[in-house]
Amino acid sequence: MRLLAVVLLAALVLAPSVAAKDAEPIYKTIEAKHFTRVEGVELSPAFTDYLYAELRNELAKTKMFTQVIGEGEAVEDADAANSVVVEGVITEYKKGNRAADAIIGYGVGARSIKLDVNVTRRSDHKDLSAIKVHVKTSPRWNEEVMAKAAAHEIAHEIKKGLKEKAKG
Amino acid sequence: MGSHRGVFMLAAIVLACALTALNVLADEPKPTPENTIHVQLAAPVPPQRFPKPAKFFVSEVIDRSGNPQPMLVLRNKGGVFLDRQPVQIVRESIEQSLKTADLLAADAASADLVLQIYVFHFGLAQGSGLDYFGKVEFSVMVKNLKTEESQQIQAAGTCIANAAVLKKNIQKNVQANIEGALEDAVRNLVRGTQLREAVASLLKNSASAPATAPSGGVAFERGDRQSELVFTPGFQTR
Repeated sequence: MRLLAVVLLAALVLAPSVAAKDAEPIYKTIEAKHFTRVEGVELSPAFTDYLYAELRNELAKTKMFTQVIGEGEAVEDADAANSVVVEGVITEYKKGNRAADAIIGYGVGARSIKLDVNVTRRSDHKDLSAIKVHVKTSPRWNEEVMAKAAAHEIAHEIKKGLKEKAKG
Repeated sequence: MGSHRGVFMLAAIVLACALTALNVLADEPKPTPENTIHVQLAAPVPPQRFPKPAKFFVSEVIDRSGNPQPMLVLRNKGGVFLDRQPVQIVRESIEQSLKTADLLAADAASADLVLQIYVFHFGLAQGSGLDYFGKVEFSVMVKNLKTEESQQIQAAGTCIANAAVLKKNIQKNVQANIEGALEDAVRNLVRGTQLREAVASLLKNSASAPATAPSGGVAFERGDRQSELVFTPGFQTR
């Protein structure tokens, strides 16, 4: 009985650490590009810079890529087949309504952004994943908080899409 | 009576203005050894291999940020200052990185290409408020002194670090953040496709320019992308 308890305790202690062990990176590099925006999207120019920085930060956290490179950086020819590029377009932005958010709530008057993201292989520009992201935040928070949420969502979706692709 | 009241009102306004100005001056952070950080690359960034080996010389680094206090990177909590001008930090970082691959020329005369750098942003930029957003942005005018041709390229680096509450941690995080952004920007420059294309284009033109000049020699260009020139009868190859 005592032995069983010890084994059970050891399993409980070891299981999370084994589960938390990160998988090996699948791709050599990922290049994130600055997202473009369709006409009519009224966001500050600083937003695109922040989204780019935050997306690179979030992509690094996925641990699927050996290196997250900046826009326009060269990749060795040998690594090109195992490298991907992320491009995106901001298709819609609604700045929300503070009064509606405060009085009604439940997502009414929320600030929202819609993005179309494409992941392609660097060597042959083959589409690996096409993602549509829709993020809602409170209108009381600034644009950068929304960029943070959007970047997190994009990185999560890219990880999911590429893992499925790798499984075949 | 009315004029007395007016004078009192005026005096009160002047006093309020003077006190506000003094208060603002008192809040203005001053650089001290405790709130000054030393920003440098943790390790030089190894540049890419160019199809044609070239030597670079950094001629000028010009601040175009329009920031009246370029060394003040954070105003809150007593301020955080840089120990050197951003232009100096950028110059050192680029020179250091070029030197590692033996791509740095001693002077402009011995260089194949001269770099003139315009710094547009160095330090922290507006973030979400939950973290520090470091940004280093500059453009580089790559010039071939022999052909007088030039090309402009852009380089930018970003870094996001956690915010902090304690003054010591704020300084540590801000320093790590700016160093990260600087490294990213230098990598974006020295490993960027823009520089590779500029070098290829400017040196191609410089290689083809003397082809018409040499006396008595016949120059021809091989059809490959390296545009290798062979001169006869001097057998000068490049």
